[in-house]
Amino acid sequence: MNQRIRRLTLFLLALYVVLFAQLNVLQVVRKDSLDADSRNNRQTVRDYNEPRGEIVTIDGVVIARSLPNDPGSEFALRREYPTGELFSSVTGYYTFSFGASQLERTMNDVLAGRTTEQQVKGLAALFTGADTTGSVEVTLDSRIQAAARDALGDREGSVVVLDVATGAVEAMWSRPTFDPNVFAVQNDDLLRDIFAFGNATPGKPLLANAYQERYMPGSTFKVITMAAALDAGVVTTESTFADEAEFLPPQTIDPIENYGGSTCGGDLAEVFRRSCNTAFAHIALDLGPEAMVAATERFGVGTEIPFDLPRPATARFGSVEYFEQNLPLLAIGGFGQGETQLSPLHMAMVAASVANGGRMMRPHVVAATYDHDGRLLDRTVPGVWQTPMSEPTAELITSLMIGVVNEGTARCCMALAGGIQAAAKTGTAQLNGPGEPERSHAWIIGFAPAEQPKYAIAVMLKGTDAEISAGTGGTLAGPVAKKVLDVALSL
Amino acid sequence: MSEGRAASPLARRRRRAELQLVVASGCITGAAYVLAALGKNSAIPPRILPFLGMVLILLLVAHLAIRLLARGADATLLPIATLLNGLGYVMIARLSERLAGLQTTWTFIGVGVFVATLLVVQRVNDLARHKWAFLAAGLGLLLLPMIPGVGFSSGGARIWVSVGPVNFQPGEFAKVALAIFVAAYLADRGELLATSRRRHGFIELPEARDVLPLVAAWGASVVIMVGQRDLGSSLLFFTLFVVMTWVATQRTAFLWTGFALFAIAGVVAHQMFDHVRTRVHIWIDPWSRYEGKGFQIAQSMFALGSGGTTGTGLGLGDPTRIPEAKNDFIFAAIGEELGLLGATAILVAFVLLIGGGLRAALRTNRDFEKLLATGLATIIGVQAFIIIGGVLRVVPLTGITLPFVSYGGSSLVANWILLALLVRVSDSSARRLGEVPDSTTPSERLTAWRLRRSEHRTGANR
Repeated sequence: MNQRIRRLTLFLLALYVVLFAQLNVLQVVRKDSLDADSRNNRQTVRDYNEPRGEIVTIDGVVIARSLPNDPGSEFALRREYPTGELFSSVTGYYTFSFGASQLERTMNDVLAGRTTEQQVKGLAALFTGADTTGSVEVTLDSRIQAAARDALGDREGSVVVLDVATGAVEAMWSRPTFDPNVFAVQNDDLLRDIFAFGNATPGKPLLANAYQERYMPGSTFKVITMAAALDAGVVTTESTFADEAEFLPPQTIDPIENYGGSTCGGDLAEVFRRSCNTAFAHIALDLGPEAMVAATERFGVGTEIPFDLPRPATARFGSVEYFEQNLPLLAIGGFGQGETQLSPLHMAMVAASVANGGRMMRPHVVAATYDHDGRLLDRTVPGVWQTPMSEPTAELITSLMIGVVNEGTARCCMALAGGIQAAAKTGTAQLNGPGEPERSHAWIIGFAPAEQPKYAIAVMLKGTDAEISAGTGGTLAGPVAKKVLDVALSL
Repeated sequence: MSEGRAASPLARRRRRAELQLVVASGCITGAAYVLAALGKNSAIPPRILPFLGMVLILLLVAHLAIRLLARGADATLLPIATLLNGLGYVMIARLSERLAGLQTTWTFIGVGVFVATLLVVQRVNDLARHKWAFLAAGLGLLLLPMIPGVGFSSGGARIWVSVGPVNFQPGEFAKVALAIFVAAYLADRGELLATSRRRHGFIELPEARDVLPLVAAWGASVVIMVGQRDLGSSLLFFTLFVVMTWVATQRTAFLWTGFALFAIAGVVAHQMFDHVRTRVHIWIDPWSRYEGKGFQIAQSMFALGSGGTTGTGLGLGDPTRIPEAKNDFIFAAIGEELGLLGATAILVAFVLLIGGGLRAALRTNRDFEKLLATGLATIIGVQAFIIIGGVLRVVPLTGITLPFVSYGGSSLVANWILLALLVRVSDSSARRLGEVPDSTTPSERLTAWRLRRSEHRTGANR
C-alpha cells in the first residue's frame, strides 16, 4: 500500500508543478500581452481617477476631454466627447470595464502622462502637484469632417479625405457609427448591454467602417489596373480597344459585359472615362496573373496599412496561383469585381498616390502630442509607404481622371465651386449574382485641384437600399465628393 | 495513569516547533491585515489590537488542543492550515468588510469544531466502527439540498440547505463522511476485492457482494452531485473513490476503469448538458465569450497578469473586478495582489499540507488509518487543484471552494474537521511507532472503570 501512496504523492506533486508552470506563464510570460488587451480595464480603472488630457483637432476643436464627475460618484472624473459621434472613429471610446479603442487606447500613455519624457518632467510634479497629462492633436479638420457627415446624410457609407502631400487624414467619416459619450457610463451591466447591442447591430457601428472594413471597389480599381499596364508597357497612349458589348475570357462560357450591357471601346482616354469593363478585362489578361498581382502588391494590397489607428483592414486581390487557375476572375478583378476588396481609406490612398506623382504616403491621424504646458512631445513626420507607379504614369492617369470629370462618368457632378478642376474615377461595384435583385456599392475616388493636388478623397455608399443600388458611382457618390471638396478647398 | 504524562522529548520538540510556526503564521496574518488596510485606505485599521488578540487566542486554543489531545502529531499540519485560513481571511476582509465579519464567526466555529473533533475522536478506529452510519450520513447530507423547502439553488447549483437563519452546503461535510466510509470499507474488504474474482466470459471481476456497496456509494454520490449541477464536487468525489480503491486494492485495473468511466462520463456530459459544454468552451477560448460566460475567467487572467512577479501589493490591486473573487476566484485575487511569489507560497502550503497528510498515511501500519489519511489528503489536494487549475485555465472551471482560503462557512468548518482527523491519524501513528507513550484515552479509562466495577460486582455476587 505504501508504494501506491508514494506514487499518489508524486502524482499530486506533479499536479501542483503544472499549476506552478501555468502561474509563471500567466504572470510572467504573458503579462505584457494580458496588460495590453483592449478589454483589460485594470489600468483604465486606475487611470479613471487620474486626470487625462484632451484630444484636439488641427483647427482647435476639443473632441475628447475629462470633466469633474457629479459629487458622490465612484470616480472623480468622467470622459466627455463634445462633438458626439462626429469623431468617434478617431477618438474611440474609453470605458472602465471594457477597455478603450482608437486613440483613447493607442495614445493612452500620452493622455495619462505616462511616457518616459512626461514622467521625467513629472518628477517635480510629485512635489508641486502639477498636472502631468498630455494632449493629442489630430490632423482632422472639424469643418471638413462636418462637411463629410452632412454630405453623406443618413445613407450608410464612408468618406475619407487625405492631404495629398503628407498622407494626413483631413476627414474620416462613416455611417453607421456610435456616440462615444454613451460608452462613458460607469456601470458594468449597462456597458455590457451597450456592447451587446453595438455588436449585434448590422453594419458594425463599433468599427470605423472607413478603414476597418473593406468593400468591393468596382471600377475605381481601374486606376490600379491602368497604372500596372502603363508601367509594364502593356498599353500606351496609342492603344485602342475594339467596340465590344461583351467579351468571353478563356476557361468560361460566361461572358463579361459592360455596365448596362452597352457597347464600349476606343482609345485609352475613352475606355477610361467611359469605364469599359471589356477593355480592362483585356488589359488584366494581357498583364497576366504575375504582373497584375505584383502591381496590386505595390499598391499595398495584402499588407497591413501602417496607420496610427488600430487594426486597419488589409486589402485583398488574389494570389498568382489562384488566378492562373481562374483567368476569368483575373479578368473581372481587372475592373475591381470578384474577390477584390479594399477599405475606403485605402482607395483614398490610391487616389492620393496618383496626385502625389506615384508616391503613396503613410496615412496618419496624429499630428502632434504635447505635454500639459503645451510643449511639443512628438510630431508625426510624413513618409512614403509605397511607390506604386512611376511619375509619368501618375501624370498620364491624372489626365485620364480629368477626362472622367469633364467628359466621362463623373461629368454629372464633379464641377467644383470656383471652377476648380477635379480628377476622379467612379465605380459601381455589383454585388448581386446573375438573376438576383440589383445591389451595388457606389464609389468615387479623386483629388483636387487637378493641377496642384491638395486633397484626395474616397466616397463609398454602401449598397443597402434600392436608391443606391440602382444608381452609378458618378451620380450618387459624385455629389458627396463635390460637397466635401468644395468645403475643403474654400478653407 | 502516570504513564500518559510520561516525558517524551520527541513530542515536546514537535509541540515547540508547532508553537513557533503557529505564532509565525499569526504574525504573517497580522502583518498582511495591516498592509491590506494601509493599501486600501492608507490608514492602520482601527480595531487592529482586538484583531491581533483574536488571532492569537484562536491559534493558542488550537495549539493547546493538540498539546493536550494529540501531542504526538505532525508539527506542520496546524500551522499551514492557520496560515491559509489567515491569508484567506485577509483577502476576504480586503474584498468585503461585511463578509469579513461572517468569516470571523466561521473561523471561530471552525477552530471550535477542530477542538471538539479531537475531543470526540480519540481513537481513529472509533470511526471505522460506525462506517455504515457515515455512509448514511454522507448520502443523506448529499440528498438534503434536493428536499423542497430546505434545499435551494444558488449560482446554478442546487447544493444549499437553509436551516433557520443559517445556509450551508452539506456536500462539504459529506466528503469527509464518505472518505471515512470508503476507508473503513476498503480496510475491511480491500483484500477480498484484490484477490477474489469470478470469470465473466473474458474478464475477471471481483465478487459482486464485495464490490457492490462501494460501487453503489460511489455511483450514488457522483450521480447526486451531477444532478445538482455541482461539477467540481462530482469530480472530487469521483477522484477520491478511484484513488482510494486503487491504493487499497493495489490493482491498477481499478485506476484504468476509473479513467475510462471518467472519459465516457465526460463525453456523455458534454453531449447532454449545455452548462458542461459552456464550461469546456470557455476553458478552451474564454475570449470569444468575453461579454458572457467567459468574462470571469478572462478577468481572472487579467488580474493574474497585472499582479506579475511581485504583485500589486495588498489593498493596491483591483480584485473586485473578478466576479466571485471572494469565493471560487480567491486564488486570482491573491495572485494579483501578492504576485507570482505569493501565489506560489499558497501552492507550496498546499503541497506541504498534502505531504503532511500522506506522511501520516505512510507512517501508520493500520489499513484504516492509512486509507483515511490518504483519502483526506487527496480531498485537500484534488479540491485545491480543481479550483486553482480552473482559475488558471489548466482544467475547465468547476465551482468549488479553495480549502481554508475561500469565503464560506461550510467549507471552512468541514476542512477544520478534516484537519482534526489528519492530526488524529498522525498522532496515532506516532503512538504506534512508540514515539509517544500510548496512553489510554479518557473514554477508554471510563470503559475500563465500568468493566472493573461490573466485574467487582459480579465477583462480589459470586
